[in-house]
Amino acid sequence: MAQSTKLIKNRIKSVEGTKQITKAMELVATSKLRRAKENMERIQPYFKSLKSLATELMKNNTDFSSPFCKSDGEKSACHVVIAGDRGLAGGYNANLFRSLNIKDGDYIVPIGKKVCEYFAKKNVHILTYDYLLAAKVRSGDCMRIAQLIAADYKLGKFGRVDVSYTKFVNVLTHEPETETLLPFVPEIERERKPGVLTIYEPGVEAVFNQLIPQYISGIIYGAVTSSVASELSSRRNAMQAANKNADEMIEDLTLKYNRSRQSAITQEITEIVAGSDM
Amino acid sequence: MMEYRLKIVTPDRLAFDGLAERLIARTTTGDVCILARHTEYITPLAIGVVKVKAEGEWRTASCSGGTLVVTGGEATIITDAFEWSDEIDIERAHAAKEKAEERMKNNTTEFEFKLAELKLKRAINRIKTGSR
Repeated sequence: MAQSTKLIKNRIKSVEGTKQITKAMELVATSKLRRAKENMERIQPYFKSLKSLATELMKNNTDFSSPFCKSDGEKSACHVVIAGDRGLAGGYNANLFRSLNIKDGDYIVPIGKKVCEYFAKKNVHILTYDYLLAAKVRSGDCMRIAQLIAADYKLGKFGRVDVSYTKFVNVLTHEPETETLLPFVPEIERERKPGVLTIYEPGVEAVFNQLIPQYISGIIYGAVTSSVASELSSRRNAMQAANKNADEMIEDLTLKYNRSRQSAITQEITEIVAGSDM
Repeated sequence: MMEYRLKIVTPDRLAFDGLAERLIARTTTGDVCILARHTEYITPLAIGVVKVKAEGEWRTASCSGGTLVVTGGEATIITDAFEWSDEIDIERAHAAKEKAEERMKNNTTEFEFKLAELKLKRAINRIKTGSR
């Protein structure tokens, strides 16, 4: 019996140790999450302006001569995939990877270490290894990625560009999402407003050449900030759950420990009493 | 003067959101002035000075490229970096200028040269705007 009380005591200690770690991770994720959320909110006006401008352009534009408007479904696609740098974040990485639709021979721009690990054994081309830490990507980095993608798209290396990320809806809900960046054409034929004539100066081509990389970079940066916030918040939730489980286990084990201690004492008393009777 | 709504947005912040009388910006083909009731208009911006007249006062700022859009009577500047003249860190701009010049001298690839050139342009623009 003494053996088993010792064993239970050891287990309690190990669970307590684990709990300390998960608690610390939860606190770290919570404080980082606050920053990430601020970051995400700060970029919202930029993100919204860029998006509304893009939809406006798609609606009113009648000149599709720009190379960014040409689509080629035959060619392989390019995917910008944004996920976490580390695990232990619940289903955050797995959920995003499950939602991906990637064919052999496609090009990937990985952002986040886990993405790189995921694609290491797959039959895809990695376009760049420069932006591996999602938490460290700044808007300047997104501009460089966008320029790289835009240049390759113009050359006809791929026929479609999309970005896959995790959308931060609120602290408890994060949805994996994929958005198409290029070709820059409306998905559905929208009603054209008559009489709206936009002046493009010096011309549609020049405006598009400037705007498209900026658009791509803006969307990617928005996606990165949203993904980082989602990752931290999933990690916090996962660690909270782990904490709760650890608490339950400790409670359970303490009960068992006390019982076994009590039964050991009872047994000893019985033995002593039995001995004195003789 | 009639006023119109002007928004200046960067990835890091909302630099301006309010009513303006006049906006002068440097586009890739030259300076333009936007007044109220301007028609629908889209143009790329060059690295240069932007002036805004709001509440009767002129303010200058350095703007590193981007796009100027006028839709529905509202003007928006979407840019990567935008600093009002009193926010510019001139020392930092000087340091960036020297660094960029250094890089252009020992450049290795054409791409890097272009990057350094852009950085130099931005630094010069900041110094010019900030020391006014």
